[in-house]
Amino acid sequence: MVDRQQFLVRTRIETHVLETWIEEEWLIPRREAGGEEFSDADVARAQLIRDLKADIGANDEAVGVILHLIDQLHGLRGALRDVLRQRGAAPPD
Amino acid sequence: MLGVPRSATADQIQKAYRKLAKKLHPDLNPGNAAAEEQFKEVASANDLLSDPEKRRRFDAGEIDASGAERPPQQFYRRYAGGGAGAGANPYANDSAYADLMDEDILSSLFRGARQRGPAPGRDIRYHLPVDFLTAVNGGTARVGLPDGSTIDVAIPAGARDGQILSLKGKGEPGAGGGEPGDGLVELEVQPHRFFTREGDDIHLTLPVSLAEAVLGGEIKVPTPTGAVSMRVPKAANSGTRLRLKGKGAVRPDGRRGDEYVTLKVMLPSMSDPELEAFVKNWSAGKAQNPRSGMEG
Repeated sequence: MVDRQQFLVRTRIETHVLETWIEEEWLIPRREAGGEEFSDADVARAQLIRDLKADIGANDEAVGVILHLIDQLHGLRGALRDVLRQRGAAPPD
Repeated sequence: MLGVPRSATADQIQKAYRKLAKKLHPDLNPGNAAAEEQFKEVASANDLLSDPEKRRRFDAGEIDASGAERPPQQFYRRYAGGGAGAGANPYANDSAYADLMDEDILSSLFRGARQRGPAPGRDIRYHLPVDFLTAVNGGTARVGLPDGSTIDVAIPAGARDGQILSLKGKGEPGAGGGEPGDGLVELEVQPHRFFTREGDDIHLTLPVSLAEAVLGGEIKVPTPTGAVSMRVPKAANSGTRLRLKGKGAVRPDGRRGDEYVTLKVMLPSMSDPELEAFVKNWSAGKAQNPRSGMEG
């Protein structure tokens, strides 16, 4: 977990950019008494958003759609993994 | 790497890079392990070519293609995937499959995955410890199934250690209307306090008193089916082996093996003045040398 300052340093994004992303709910930091907390997953997610905008050339509308689809994909992958795990569950020794 | 000619303009490079990045970005290919390596190579080539100074040195042969690498990036999919041990992904949502949950997701998934038709369920192996006497005489033992229920398994008389019993239909359910698999129960026969078993025969070391050994007589002997009387001959020594016919484990043909009783002479646990006085005056006892065969 890192605070907002460390997060900005690690992701190399500007404060106003971060605020927009949080407003769009692309990032949802945990609200703690001492401020916001960001996980390693949030850092990686911010880098993904940066890649989408800078490298792939997605505009803000498209980034929201892409993130939503990726989140669905991971939800689906998680559900599929649970199914496969149950199916492949080893019998007790 | 980017597939652009040496003379490519900055615009052409960016276009080529974006095209590949769209295809290869690991977070857009969460299940493709090779995508990450390829993406890194492409990104590294792009870094190199989009910096005019680096590009000049690359074109001049001063640095190689990996000369400009990005700081290592931890891709989001690593956290979002919820792999072994990873926590829940707070961003993940069920919009992609919520409607499927109304159906039997298991069967619908596998119907989709195996169009070839019904497939039998897999067998499940169990390990079942069995009491020694239950294995010799037959009986039942309880198996806990993965779903929390239990079933009583009939243990055939004479069951052996390592024997596998098959429980028809107690394996995993079949897919697409296929037969369920079987439960395969491997027996592990537990050791007994004083019986041991070799094949269908039971072996027992039986302590006898000095008086019983010297004088012989009827004694009670435990067998797997209860105690029986056995006649000990006069002057029976330690190591004497007596056979109780038909008191062993049940054979496949229904008859039983034998029980072999090996005697072990036990002196009284307390010293006995009367016995000591007798042995002192017993000249034949002093002349006996049981170790004569070991000398020389």
